[in-house]
Amino acid sequence: MTERKPYAITVQDLVTRGRDDIPAELVTSTHLIYNSPAALAFNSPGAQGFGVKRAGLSIPGSVMLLVGPGCCGRNTTILSEMGGYSDRFFFYIMDETDIVTGRHLKKIPQAVCEVVDSLAEKPSVVMICMTCVDALLGTDMERVCRKAEKEAGLPVVPCYMYALTREGRKPPMVDVRRAIYSLLEKQPRRRRTVNLLGYFAPLQDDCELYDILRGVGFNQINEISRCPDFAAYKAMSQANVNIILNPEARLAAQDMEKRLGIPSIELTRLYQVAQIHKQYQALAQVLGTTIDDSAWHERAQAVVRAVREKCSGTTVAIGEMQNGNAFEMALALTRYGFVIREIYANLGPDDFVYLRHLAQLSPDTQVYSNLSPSMLYYRGQDHPVDVTIGKDAAYYHEQAAHLSWDEDIQPFGYAGVISLLQRLEQALLERKHP
Amino acid sequence: MKGLWKYISPFAPDDSGAAAVLYGLNGIVVICDAGGCAGNICGFDEPRWFSGKKSAVFSAGLRDMDAILGRDDRLVDKLCQAAETIDADFAAIVGTPVPSVIGTDYKALKHMAEKKLSIPVVTVDTTGMDYYDKGIEKAYDALFPVLADSSQQAEADTVGVLGAVPLELMHPGDIEWISQSLVEDGWQQILLFDEIDDYRKAGKASLNLVLSPAGLKAAQYLQKTFGTPYELHYFGLDAVVDFDDNLFSGKNVLIIHQAVAASAMAAMAEEAGAAYVTTASWFMGLPEPQGTDCVRLREEDDLRRLADNDQFDIILGDAYFRRALPNFHGQYVDFPHFAVSGRG
Repeated sequence: MTERKPYAITVQDLVTRGRDDIPAELVTSTHLIYNSPAALAFNSPGAQGFGVKRAGLSIPGSVMLLVGPGCCGRNTTILSEMGGYSDRFFFYIMDETDIVTGRHLKKIPQAVCEVVDSLAEKPSVVMICMTCVDALLGTDMERVCRKAEKEAGLPVVPCYMYALTREGRKPPMVDVRRAIYSLLEKQPRRRRTVNLLGYFAPLQDDCELYDILRGVGFNQINEISRCPDFAAYKAMSQANVNIILNPEARLAAQDMEKRLGIPSIELTRLYQVAQIHKQYQALAQVLGTTIDDSAWHERAQAVVRAVREKCSGTTVAIGEMQNGNAFEMALALTRYGFVIREIYANLGPDDFVYLRHLAQLSPDTQVYSNLSPSMLYYRGQDHPVDVTIGKDAAYYHEQAAHLSWDEDIQPFGYAGVISLLQRLEQALLERKHP
Repeated sequence: MKGLWKYISPFAPDDSGAAAVLYGLNGIVVICDAGGCAGNICGFDEPRWFSGKKSAVFSAGLRDMDAILGRDDRLVDKLCQAAETIDADFAAIVGTPVPSVIGTDYKALKHMAEKKLSIPVVTVDTTGMDYYDKGIEKAYDALFPVLADSSQQAEADTVGVLGAVPLELMHPGDIEWISQSLVEDGWQQILLFDEIDDYRKAGKASLNLVLSPAGLKAAQYLQKTFGTPYELHYFGLDAVVDFDDNLFSGKNVLIIHQAVAASAMAAMAEEAGAAYVTTASWFMGLPEPQGTDCVRLREEDDLRRLADNDQFDIILGDAYFRRALPNFHGQYVDFPHFAVSGRG
């Protein structure tokens, strides 16, 4: 029998091949997609964290009617059990007759009315979650929602859980971000109001971005997850500027610029302290002001120095089921003295900006794809590491210390770096002294 | 309203049922989907996934143009590519709503794949619209004719168990003590059909125990092929009633579960002095009446009409149904069903 082993390639070899020659083994559309707990973030983002269903409920006071075959609503049982969701999900379960005749489309307005009538408190909006089936049927859901809106007397908004379009122009997680801001209507803009777009949960409370924005004159900082009610959500259309914190929110920002006239600026989540400083200086330039981030910058540098002293040489495996770009995080941690043995992540051409630097510092770091069929043969014990970051990496390395780093609350900026390093240190300590 | 479910989330679908039967058989299992169905199976309906035991289950990773253009050849190419990487005894393609909508010809898919592969290929035409039990039935139906060794002879100490997948049970771990209790009953060899060899040796069983209606068709096939008798049997009911002798006495009882489990519990309730017992299920029924009133549920509203009142003194069903019955004031006893709530 031939020796079976997982496909891996070093960072150096990847960089030598270049961004236009990514090996087919790392390109998801060229092979079957391995379905393992490590691949959950790709195959079923809703099973953990935010998928379309949970994201669609970000609007305060909203409820969701999922219209699709039973299998599409199955993992919603988990979501329903999470605090606050059990009374917010409803299902119209399609059968074969619905698919053949399209009769479900006529029933959606009635279903919306029944859902609204069954609730003690009228929801602010009913989100209609559609599945691959309606994608294939070419359903005009906007029209169906308008009809439902008329009958139910409240906003009805479609959101598309079309896994089939995952690699298209508007993947589901991009379009749902557009959908949740689609109820905002043009209002006079307020100079000192800013929206943070991109996440469905807030940034960590101690994130310096809040202070920095206040420092440059924004006294109202909006995040959808911090909106206490529908009125606060609607007030997001008064913002003078949108700050995009996740590239998947670009479409939403473009839509808001077109409809509401709100321009946007994009910031990237980074774990390299020097780059964070550069990004804030660039932000200052764009806003035509100055940003003094020296206090936070120095604090982050001090934490980096302390961790470097204690943890230098610690071996790490980084996955993609965590709050960060695995390649950028690998580069940051390498710069802080860690040794990154392996990365498990979907690779795109944009990641080469980090890989090029990583190849100089850690050329032998191996890159795997969680989704490659050959990962069936991955054995963590053949490649031991001290600590893993991300639930997928933890799945491969049972014996290592683990930092899942996938909480809903989003790390960002210097505060994100400090939290990451402190939590890493803590995970390593707990492993030493359980 | 037909189709509208306000209190209960959807049950495990047929593709999960098929994948549960195929799990761990050393086959390449391809869920013919865009990713979400495979993700649900992995993340929710297959607890063995998190046990560390690996199984070669893949998503076809279908994209819109694959579906629109019916690019089955691409799927077959991907399957062949995976077969070069993986040592497998067979390949299986499991259907989901996408191939169902575009009318995928599974027979043609099987022939195309078999031409290129040197291992048997089975297809299971699940749609994601039926319940898990239909998928279990279809998977058995696809596997036994291909894998069972017709030269096997019955052995007195060998018993088969059909339907022993986590979805049919109260808790996924129940499978282990089913084996244990059968050993205690004197059986030397137990075929749970969770390994490929069990299928090959299916003819060795001198008796097949059928744990759910989903296993009945397979039991009938094995009876016809090998002459193996079968009987309905569910395990572990004592744990539900907590050995409370007075639980049922003089009571009007409703039991909600899959039909074999429900009728076994009904028999227990009647024996314990229940005044009247009714069973109800959304899942496959049994061909012959089991002596109690059996209500076939189709919609969520059916359950509410039947039980969201004080018609019954006691209801046994998965705790997950409780929230659909706010107007029931009697005693509700949790009778877990993994295919309903996915509780471990």
